[in-house]
Amino acid sequence: MRIPKYQTPELRNKNVRLAWVLGGMAIFFLVTSFPFWTGLFRIVGTQAMP
Amino acid sequence: MTTTTLNHDEAHHHDMPTGWRRWLFSTNHKDIGTLYLLFALTMLFLGGASAMLIRLELFQPGIQLLDPDLYNNLVTNHALIMIFGAVMPAAAGLANWMIPMMIGAPDMALPRMNNLSFWILPAAATMLILSFVVPFFPGGGTQINTGWTLYPPLSVQVGMSMDFLIFAIHLLGISSVLASINIIVTLLNMRAPGMTLMTMPMFCWTWLVTAFLLILVVPVLAGGVTMLLFDRHFGTSFFDAAGGGDPVLFQHLFWFFGHPEVYILLLPSIGVLSHVIPAFSRKPLFGYKSMVGAMLTVATIGMVVWAHHQYTVGMSLGAVTYFMIGTILISIPVGLMIFNFIATMWRGAMTFETPMLFAVAIILMFTFGGLSGVMLAVVPADMQYHDSMFVVAHFHYVLMPGAVFGLFAGVFYWLPKWTGHMYDETLGKIFFWTNVIGFNITFFPQHFLGLAGMPRRIVDYNMMFTEFNVISSVGAIIFGLSHLLLLYIVIKTIRGGKKAESRAWEGAKGLEWELDSPPAFHTWTVAPQIK
Repeated sequence: MRIPKYQTPELRNKNVRLAWVLGGMAIFFLVTSFPFWTGLFRIVGTQAMP
Repeated sequence: MTTTTLNHDEAHHHDMPTGWRRWLFSTNHKDIGTLYLLFALTMLFLGGASAMLIRLELFQPGIQLLDPDLYNNLVTNHALIMIFGAVMPAAAGLANWMIPMMIGAPDMALPRMNNLSFWILPAAATMLILSFVVPFFPGGGTQINTGWTLYPPLSVQVGMSMDFLIFAIHLLGISSVLASINIIVTLLNMRAPGMTLMTMPMFCWTWLVTAFLLILVVPVLAGGVTMLLFDRHFGTSFFDAAGGGDPVLFQHLFWFFGHPEVYILLLPSIGVLSHVIPAFSRKPLFGYKSMVGAMLTVATIGMVVWAHHQYTVGMSLGAVTYFMIGTILISIPVGLMIFNFIATMWRGAMTFETPMLFAVAIILMFTFGGLSGVMLAVVPADMQYHDSMFVVAHFHYVLMPGAVFGLFAGVFYWLPKWTGHMYDETLGKIFFWTNVIGFNITFFPQHFLGLAGMPRRIVDYNMMFTEFNVISSVGAIIFGLSHLLLLYIVIKTIRGGKKAESRAWEGAKGLEWELDSPPAFHTWTVAPQIK
């Protein structure tokens, strides 16, 4: 697999940049739209108590 | 879009790889589109087989073929296979085939990621199938009897098959998000010079909105099932009240994904209709801008009304009132889309080839499903209908016409473009009528069953429900078998038939119809100028 001829370096950079922004958005929703981390820390904290 | 200057270069067949490498390492949007469509067709038959087993079991009261857990496992698998394995990949197949050709782009923006998006799917499907198969082996644990919603605490108690399912959902989610990123980047960065967002074909618009919805909601499902995995294996209590967690939290997370998922399934088909109806009415689409506005409104409101699936779980009066009003409001933009389609047909020179027949059926039957949806949106009424066969009838009337028939319309509409051959119109019409009649015989009686009190997801039922269940099961056999005809038509069209012209349909408009049928392996290597 190689980079297709029609993709100029400028276009490729533009595409990859936007893809990273969208990927970042997906990861943002993954980690912040639910109480995963707070819940995990709370539960870990509770279990650590004697 | 008014006129186009076509200065595309000669057909590029010389760069086409051959053999298995062509498919495994493909970065070509047409090949990957074909792979998606073939995958979806395979999964349609797999999901259909599980549905047939369900209806055979329900042919008469009592337990005939399936024990209760296996029955519920089939219900779970049927839903997951149809949603994630058949409808979403089929829509992605149409997107891969058509979006670059429609916007004058040589390929998708990120072709290698496109390859990855597809090839994750067979691995995910294997995991999904294993989740069904594993309990049959010694030490395989219990069947997944939760339904596709995977509500805890039941989903925490199920055996190791649930882990396969969670892994499958993760893989399916990754595939969907990657494909969505690719589609958005393609649509925003790769349009032909002169094509603005507001002159972009409507199918592209529907996919742009769908792809954003996917990026917004799929990660939330991934988070939900990850927490489920932690609760199952790592001693956390996210959804366990005894440990300070809350099982209702999972329901919120699931439906935050699950309700927009309905629009994710519907919108690409709305996009197909936006091309089929104008083509066979020989008129431009009525109200392009209002269609775009309606679609954005549906997507926005659709993101914030998820809890109408959970009225009976016990929410405050203020919360259920909000979710009820929000849900009913969605019928306004959806109604606007339907009126636009009707206005497009109004005084048009209409002909009724198979894609148009499906389009008309969608308008009638999807509207019917929408109306029963308004009934279910009303809180006091939903308290009665909840978890009854009425709900099963409702969502099948929404999703079969709204999503699957739209995909069928798209396949029949673009099949001449893809294969270079016209399909057999007589067989197409026979398929349409058996399919639609079979569908209605199957699902219409389920409204009565639900209203009479028959619960869903239960293997057995009271004797009083027998007649309607017999009718429904007979309809399901007609409906299920009719898809074999679809398979035959597709194979027959691929193998030969009347040569299709570049513009296979007299009223078809758009850049894709300027290309040969079938199009060259590489198309639009020189971008067309849109004036």
